[in-house]
Amino acid sequence: MSNAIPVTRTRRKAQTPEERRRSKIIQISLGVVVSIVVLFFAYLAQQTNPAGAFIILVGTGFGYTLQRSRFCFTSSLRDPLLTGTTDLTKAVVIALTLASLVFMALNMQKFGMDLKQLEVEKALGNVLPIGLHTAIGGFLFGIGAVIAGGCASGTLMRMGEGYAQNWLAFVFFVFGSMLGTALLNLMKTSPIFWTGTAVFLPEVLGGWIPAVIVQFGALFGLYVAADYWGKKKAGAL
Amino acid sequence: MAERTLDCLGEACPVPLVKTQKALEEMAVGDVLIVNIDHSCAMKNIPDWARSVGHGVEIEEVGEGEWDIIIQKMK
Repeated sequence: MSNAIPVTRTRRKAQTPEERRRSKIIQISLGVVVSIVVLFFAYLAQQTNPAGAFIILVGTGFGYTLQRSRFCFTSSLRDPLLTGTTDLTKAVVIALTLASLVFMALNMQKFGMDLKQLEVEKALGNVLPIGLHTAIGGFLFGIGAVIAGGCASGTLMRMGEGYAQNWLAFVFFVFGSMLGTALLNLMKTSPIFWTGTAVFLPEVLGGWIPAVIVQFGALFGLYVAADYWGKKKAGAL
Repeated sequence: MAERTLDCLGEACPVPLVKTQKALEEMAVGDVLIVNIDHSCAMKNIPDWARSVGHGVEIEEVGEGEWDIIIQKMK
């Protein structure tokens, strides 16, 4: 920034260059040690699970990306209303587009282009019914995310950052997931929840081509809407 | 030109941002607000928001995982 803020303040002392250099050395050494430990665990996991090393390395990479990019699913939906910024919203739309491509490719491979062997229950990637349970779950999740100071991925990522509140949240996160799993079968048979049918676009629209048009058309529409909203908010303020 | 410090240490994600927005509303143009934070998320969303609105922003690392965001109200 060109017009620097005049500094006449009594406040906490900033780090001296020497302190900054020292913490940089500590951070880099710790990074090297942690990388070696992760590789060692990946090696150990590979002994018992053929996908073990892959899972650990992808998980670590995912966490690294989340931390560095400040990518946050919750704020992608909250920021347009709270601050009017839609950068994360657009990032999530792009992520969904990439995920849709892979989802589509895998299911095309499984069911064939003509959908002759289609069984929605067996579709890859959790094609599940939506219903009242989705709305209630989302509402509960939102309350939890505000109290915990992070959504699911955010909680895990901030545990690594050393944010103690999320260590506490993690205990209840595990407990809540356990409760959810225990109640899942009850939910599935309940007449109030789980009443809808699973929507698999190629089945509903009768083919891959209309499904592709609807899916990517909707994502494109969301991107354009988010972009417009962000520009409008930035200009209006 | 007044200066104000806002203590947001220990506050999780959207809270520092909302507090900053409210504090700035009460302040006059040219005033400086110093926000103390220790939540990495606030280090992104407060400066992003303040810059998009047109305020002057500087970030200073006070310690490991602790920052001061210095905002000058521009309008």
